[in-house]
Amino acid sequence: MNINLENEIFELDELHILDPEKLNFSLEESGFLTLDDGEQVYSKVNLTRLLPFKTKTEYISVSYEDDEEQFHEIGVIRDINELQGEQFEIADNFLKFKYYMPEITRIYSIRDNMRGYIFVKVDTNAGKKTLCIRDWYSNFKLISPTELYVVDADGNKYTCPDIRSLDKKSKNNIDMFV
Amino acid sequence: MNLKLSTPKGEENATFSIPYDLNTRTKKVNGHCVITDNEIRIYLDDDITEKYPLDYFDEYICEQLIGCSMLVGRKGDQRKFLCAFTQTYFIRYAELCKILEFYKRTGELFADDDQSEPSCTKCGLPLDSETICPFCAKKSEVFLKLIKRAKPYKWLFALALLCTILTEVIWIIQPRLQRTIIDDFVIPRNKDLHSFLIICGMLVGIILLAWIFEVVNMKASFKMALSIGKDLRQEVFAKVQKLSMSSVSKRTTGGLIRRVSNDAMKLQEFISQNGKELIVRLFSVTMLSILIFVMNPKLALFVLAPIPIVIFFNVKLFNVMSIRYGRVWRMSTRHSTVLHDTLNGIRVVKSYGTEKYAIDQHEKASMNWAKSIRNADIVWLLTMPFSRYILSIGSYLVLLIGGSMVLDQTLTLGQLVQYTTYVAMIYGPLGWLIELPRILADTTVSVSRVFEILDEDTDVADSENALDIDIKGDITFDDVYFGYKVYNPVLKGISCEIKQGEMIGIVGHSGVGKSTMINLILRLYDCTQGRILIDGIDIRNLSQDSLRTQVGVVLQETFLFDGSVYDNIRYAKEDSSFEEIISAAKIANAHDFIVKLPEGYNTRVGDKGYSLSGGERQRIAIARAILHDPKILILDEATASLDTQTERNIQEALSRLIEGRTTIAIAHRLSTLSNADKLIVLDKGRLAEMGPHEELMRNGGVYYKLVMAQRQTTKMKEVID
Ligand SMILES: Nc1ncnc2c1ncn2[C@@H]1O[C@H](COP(=O)(O)OP(=O)(O)O)[C@@H](O)[C@H]1O
Ligand SMILES: [Mg+2]
Repeated sequence: MNINLENEIFELDELHILDPEKLNFSLEESGFLTLDDGEQVYSKVNLTRLLPFKTKTEYISVSYEDDEEQFHEIGVIRDINELQGEQFEIADNFLKFKYYMPEITRIYSIRDNMRGYIFVKVDTNAGKKTLCIRDWYSNFKLISPTELYVVDADGNKYTCPDIRSLDKKSKNNIDMFV
Repeated sequence: MNLKLSTPKGEENATFSIPYDLNTRTKKVNGHCVITDNEIRIYLDDDITEKYPLDYFDEYICEQLIGCSMLVGRKGDQRKFLCAFTQTYFIRYAELCKILEFYKRTGELFADDDQSEPSCTKCGLPLDSETICPFCAKKSEVFLKLIKRAKPYKWLFALALLCTILTEVIWIIQPRLQRTIIDDFVIPRNKDLHSFLIICGMLVGIILLAWIFEVVNMKASFKMALSIGKDLRQEVFAKVQKLSMSSVSKRTTGGLIRRVSNDAMKLQEFISQNGKELIVRLFSVTMLSILIFVMNPKLALFVLAPIPIVIFFNVKLFNVMSIRYGRVWRMSTRHSTVLHDTLNGIRVVKSYGTEKYAIDQHEKASMNWAKSIRNADIVWLLTMPFSRYILSIGSYLVLLIGGSMVLDQTLTLGQLVQYTTYVAMIYGPLGWLIELPRILADTTVSVSRVFEILDEDTDVADSENALDIDIKGDITFDDVYFGYKVYNPVLKGISCEIKQGEMIGIVGHSGVGKSTMINLILRLYDCTQGRILIDGIDIRNLSQDSLRTQVGVVLQETFLFDGSVYDNIRYAKEDSSFEEIISAAKIANAHDFIVKLPEGYNTRVGDKGYSLSGGERQRIAIARAILHDPKILILDEATASLDTQTERNIQEALSRLIEGRTTIAIAHRLSTLSNADKLIVLDKGRLAEMGPHEELMRNGGVYYKLVMAQRQTTKMKEVID
């Protein structure tokens, strides 16, 4: 929307919902994406989940950095599932990479050292691991009634999308710490 | 930092070699990024997949994403993805980028020689700046620590203990007298009134004595418990004051309040009610066990046999209970957090009319708390009757067998009565002892929460021979890196020099790290890398006391303590006279409005007192800083809530005041800073430009754009107004 006030023109930001049919993404060498929306080609395009805890494919912000590394949002995609065929794959793959988050499939044990740390022995889809979690009151928590979200001391993030699907022991272990 | 963790097979020239563990399809892989003295080589397993001369790229960037990070090379406008890795390696890659940047500048591949990364000898976990491995630290020790707290009161404790034991002994003697009465007087129908009265007198006497002991005991234990409670509360509070900002801010205020008040209280209760009791009960169980064993070993066996079973069972139960009580603790803390949050933000709640939401939130937290208690206690309530039952089986057996022994005349009736009295007595302390896991579990949680604070090493600690100096006011940033989280740098490679007496402005977009720079100067946090020098001395070698008494700050969110205007200004300097306070208020342009307040300088402001406007609060804060008379004055958006006129007045007054002092100002309105000697322009965590206003305007860089952008919006505002 442009407001014309005594010959001064100001650009007001608005929510710009992108039409999934017109978008054409491709992976570039930089690890980011290139986007052709039919009018313009953007490079170093970044996708961001606006509601990462709530949905993995809906409300994806599409932005790019210009040559001066200034951030510009191109718009928001309501749901990348509406992208055309291979386009979905590219976008989803990028998101999965950016939000790389191994899924916890089992929790063997949780040890509280009574000094604000816990050590969680887990099995994830990226292998077995003992997670060292600092300040666990805030870094080991449920973000919905069923989803567990964990950030370890290095900053790696782990999730368990549905704790109801875990075995009984894992569930009990979680129960006592969230 | 160790930048040569492991090398791929067949690579012999690696100067640095860091593993990477992801590919762009989010598969776990096993690769290495190797730097030789002239090449960067990317390995997948043990094969080179890509290699470039080190000079090929203009810049190496460690790009942090959400769940992983990647190393990217930039050549002109082109960027090339090199490898991806989980955050575990992020710091190392970030370090590597710095080394490569240095290489690009100087042509030298130079590594920080300090490769020592201490790790725990037991489990191998890295010990980043902790003294004991958090994984291997024992938790049983916390109770010992609690007991050590009682040391100053050991005489009181001894007195209380002695009295209780004496009382206990009396209760053991008493059945012996009863037995004499029954066996020597009642059954043989003995009419020796004299001896009878003596024994009765003795009975009354010892009961009186017991009563006296009891009173002394109560007084002594109460005094001790209250003192320990007071000490603990005070100590936790004092420690919280001394902790670094990062330690304090990672805990919620509700959680901290809880520790100072409830947890310390719980420990006090534990000591007053249970600590001594525990010793006494153990003592009486042992005494009574020995007694009944000596009196009749066969009967004693029946009584004592179930005890080991119950003990075993209870130890197991303790573990379960302590986890569950830990949960209760968290739920109650969450409840206090909700309470604290809502009450603090009551203005927002009311102005948005969201009372109902607040009430719901509270109800939820409250319910969860109640639920967690129920969850913890249900285990207890379900298992408790069972333990008690097992325990008391013995007493029935004693009656059965003892009764038949009386009939067989191998035991006198008096003996049996005495015996069963002892057996009954043993169940008292035993019953109490099996309650112990619950009490202990509950207390363990509080003990560990309290000691978690007391034992925390302040990560911003004074060095051993910290200097107390008179600060002149030179400040140097020497290649400073800092992030609130290690893996998320906010300031990157800041280097600049501020001379004594200069007025410096820091500008940049909001969130770029301006306040962070201030926090570092104040040493609320320590920088992750690089140094900050004041008068040529690393601030880590200055005592924090000397640093902070000579640096004055006015922040944007000013906080007024509950108290009068007078108290709030005087806060900066306890011993200042009233006249000094007034002149400070005058300089800060605060005097005039204070005069108009109903009770002048005695008007109560702060938490729930007379509500001042944002600008008025800021002026009080400025007065506070002026009174502080600092060598270095820091104004972090200090005049942001003031109108332009007042701002100008204050500035004028300040400029008289700040002569000869180093001043660092952050202001949103850039015009405020145009008379600064130098401006430091931050952009994306780096120092983009530095110089006086005119020079920067001529350069047409970041600052120029900031100013232009602001002029535009100001114009717009003027038009709308
Ligand atoms: N206590 C904190 N913990 C974590 N991140 C913080 C903290 N304080 C500030 N930040 C982050 O650091 C960055 C710089 O903040 P700050 O220095 O306050 O910016 P500004 O330049 O506006 O003063 C911001 O992105 C902010 O979100
Ligand atoms: Mg700020």
